[in-house]
Amino acid sequence: MHPQIDAMFDEAENRYLKPDELNTLNQYVESLPDRLETYRCLRDQEVTIMQRVAEQLEQQFPSEKIEVLERCLKNALLVMRYSAMGMLLNDELFLQTRLISWLEDTVKVFNTQTLDTALYRLLNQRLSETLTGPQLRLIQPHLTLAERALIQPAPTAPAL
Amino acid sequence: MISITDLLVDNHIPSNYFASDVYVKGDLELGLLENRRGDRLLALPATLIQGIYAGLENETGQAAGMVLFNCGRWWGKNFYTRFCEELTDYYNKAVADMSMVEFLQCLRQCWVTHGWGRIELDQSHHHRGLLLIQIWNSPFAREAQNSTKPACHLEAGVLSTFFSQLTSRELHCVQTTCESLGSDCNRFILGLTKRVQPAEEMVERGLDHDTILQQLCS
Repeated sequence: MHPQIDAMFDEAENRYLKPDELNTLNQYVESLPDRLETYRCLRDQEVTIMQRVAEQLEQQFPSEKIEVLERCLKNALLVMRYSAMGMLLNDELFLQTRLISWLEDTVKVFNTQTLDTALYRLLNQRLSETLTGPQLRLIQPHLTLAERALIQPAPTAPAL
Repeated sequence: MISITDLLVDNHIPSNYFASDVYVKGDLELGLLENRRGDRLLALPATLIQGIYAGLENETGQAAGMVLFNCGRWWGKNFYTRFCEELTDYYNKAVADMSMVEFLQCLRQCWVTHGWGRIELDQSHHHRGLLLIQIWNSPFAREAQNSTKPACHLEAGVLSTFFSQLTSRELHCVQTTCESLGSDCNRFILGLTKRVQPAEEMVERGLDHDTILQQLCS
């Protein structure tokens, strides 16, 4: 659950919630139908979206070993599933604590940043075709978090 | 061609088995702590660790470290068995079939989730037959008050059996720096017994980690 709402429930053990606290809760509750709809859409379209990404990735990296491509795709499937759940709970920490810290090292060791960069670009293209603007805005912060953590920025050229 | 449906075996992709908030479950009324498979977990209060240290010190004096090391070896033996069982169950493949990266990734997360601190393995001396291990925020170092020597005997024991079983070679583990002595982390050197044993005497003489490592490699 959103850490702010979670903390609110803990703090309000012997008092009523303040108006601004109720507002936060209300905003979350009101956003829930959209969050649920986005979640359903991602769940139902998972295979279609990722299959298309897989095909394009294979075209872009024809000489890459299949098991490497499969590992990256599996990680992306996980990132999508955890992002969807994080979006539903409105909790960015969910993805961070459950998955990213665990995936970071593998990505570095296997050195798949180039592949992952291409993969997430393709994934974002597919998502923008599949989801509506407001739905994209709900899932995007979570995906961006994963992208930032998993794709190291290319080293910049030293200043002359 | 890659098929996404084939990647999703039973619509499931194994991920972070030891994720802290999923792994540890508790029932306060029953006073039980369990892991996600339902195996019992035991919480060690700081006072118990302090008590064990003080009791052993009183009863056995200088041998306390050796006793703890041997306890650690027993603990490590069972820990390794359970660790492998859990990984095999969850990832649906034998530990031998896992990549080293996956295995170590699980070990790191497992260590954190059990509250033993952060563990990192340094394979830079692998060609010399030595594995260097660093642990930060160890509860076993934290409770060792007034120690004058590295105090994580229990962990050294656990690590020596854990990696002995993993590699099927008899390995020994010596701690060279300790948080209880003001060091930034606890450093351990692991390798074949005859290679690593001389380090024990160097620690006794108060040599620092780098010097010990240098002398072991010379």
